[in-house]
Amino acid sequence: MSLLEVTELDAGYGDLQVLFGVDLHVTEGEYVAIVGPNGAGKSTVMKAVVGLATHMGGEIRFDGEDITGLEPQTRIERGLGYVPQTENIFPTLTVEENLKIGGYLLGGLPDDRQEAVVEQFPILAERLDQRAGNLSGGQQQMLAMARALIPDPPVLLLDEPSAGLAPDLVDTVFDHIDAVNDRGVTVVIVEQNAKTALRRCDRGYVLTQGENRYTDEGDALLNDPEVRKQFLGGGDSPTG
Amino acid sequence: MALPLAQELIFGLVIGSYIALGAIGFTLVYGLVNMINFAHGEFITIGAFVGYLAVVFGGVSLPVALLVALLVAAVTGWAIARLTFEPMNDAGAVPLLLMSIGLGLVLRNGMRAIAGPDRRNVPVAVTTYRFDDLGFFVTSNQLFIIGVTLFAVLVLHLFLSRTMVGISMRATADNERLALVSGIDTRQIRNAVWLAASGLAGVAGVMLAVSQSANPSVGFGQLLLIITAAILGGAGSPYGAVAGSYLLGVGIAVSVAFLPADIVALSSTMAFAILIVVLLVRPGGIANTEVRTS
Repeated sequence: MSLLEVTELDAGYGDLQVLFGVDLHVTEGEYVAIVGPNGAGKSTVMKAVVGLATHMGGEIRFDGEDITGLEPQTRIERGLGYVPQTENIFPTLTVEENLKIGGYLLGGLPDDRQEAVVEQFPILAERLDQRAGNLSGGQQQMLAMARALIPDPPVLLLDEPSAGLAPDLVDTVFDHIDAVNDRGVTVVIVEQNAKTALRRCDRGYVLTQGENRYTDEGDALLNDPEVRKQFLGGGDSPTG
Repeated sequence: MALPLAQELIFGLVIGSYIALGAIGFTLVYGLVNMINFAHGEFITIGAFVGYLAVVFGGVSLPVALLVALLVAAVTGWAIARLTFEPMNDAGAVPLLLMSIGLGLVLRNGMRAIAGPDRRNVPVAVTTYRFDDLGFFVTSNQLFIIGVTLFAVLVLHLFLSRTMVGISMRATADNERLALVSGIDTRQIRNAVWLAASGLAGVAGVMLAVSQSANPSVGFGQLLLIITAAILGGAGSPYGAVAGSYLLGVGIAVSVAFLPADIVALSSTMAFAILIVVLLVRPGGIANTEVRTS
């Protein structure tokens, strides 16, 4: 059964429509990547799912229930974990306080959740008392994921987790995402870095101009000559 | 041996204490509700009258009067905000600013209509401690005012750093959108901000009623100093507001001692001068917070 089911979604910002009838379905435990050129509306899909975009039509169902009209905070309460692309930490708060905010809906930060998350992101362990704004870009991305994982959400939505990171850090971040998925968390990512994302994910969606273009298993999309030519800069199959 | 500036420093700490609690509330509202509340002085005036009534007609001691003023001002300020500002929360900074200017005028004149323009003193016994060797004196009143302020700042610090609501407040001030998608109930946070800001204003009001008087414009008279202190400290930063208040207080006290009387007679002129210099030199204030465009 689909854990997250987006049907015929029209969405945008204010009067500006960005998405035109987008479909997305994500099964429990899956790792799904949404790729596509700049301005295709990738991030808008994610913002619409968490309730930050203007809804214009269609339906969003999570765990069998229609969440289309709900406030962002209620959707998070239902079990959506969301990490925005930029400004995804609280810079003047310490690392530990950032994690505490992750536990807001739990009424506090349970020790076992903090331990579990710090174990996943050991780089945070010795930095708990540091101001989050003083962390490096890669560390901030880890903290942002850690914060979203505190309530143990069934789904983690990541908006461009590798944006602005040095190439070696990109792999580290993707390794962490794999690990999160291996622990049973359903993962949806939006990525500019299409090749890496499609190589890592189970299934991918290619979005252009606010519409679904292709959808298939990640490897199949990577090897699809049309997709390669149009969206991956052509050349030989990266897996072949 | 007389210590130079010791007396000015004490006066400065007292002036800073009057300003600080008002400035904290003002800056919290600025950072979390994204509005400049010109009616904040009136919340102070409410506290001054409540403190006066509690002591003179209620016959309670000063600490009890402080507590009563804190509670009454907190609830009144919150209720006023819920009725006036909250319904137009999404309208933007300028409509909220205009609303607060109008609201302040209505409240100020409303209180003048009810209470009259008289200056009402809260009678308290004052003891003066003289340290002639060191060249200064301090009254029990001044110690009380400095002590209450420092205690309130300490409580506020514990609240902001130890409680979930306090940490969530700082998080919301940092990044409201991220707070929202972290599940924080930002409306509940705004309620807490109005309660805290008005409550602290109420305490400041009692301190002013004790050392000056309760009158309809006692809070409004502080507003310019409060805004200056908040900007000096870095608008939106409560710790910056405390630092800014004491810096301003000491600055005024020292300038009173050393500058010709006809210049400093207008202490608001000094506040303006300091404000202009800060805005030119370091617009982010002591805390160097981002200057908001809204």
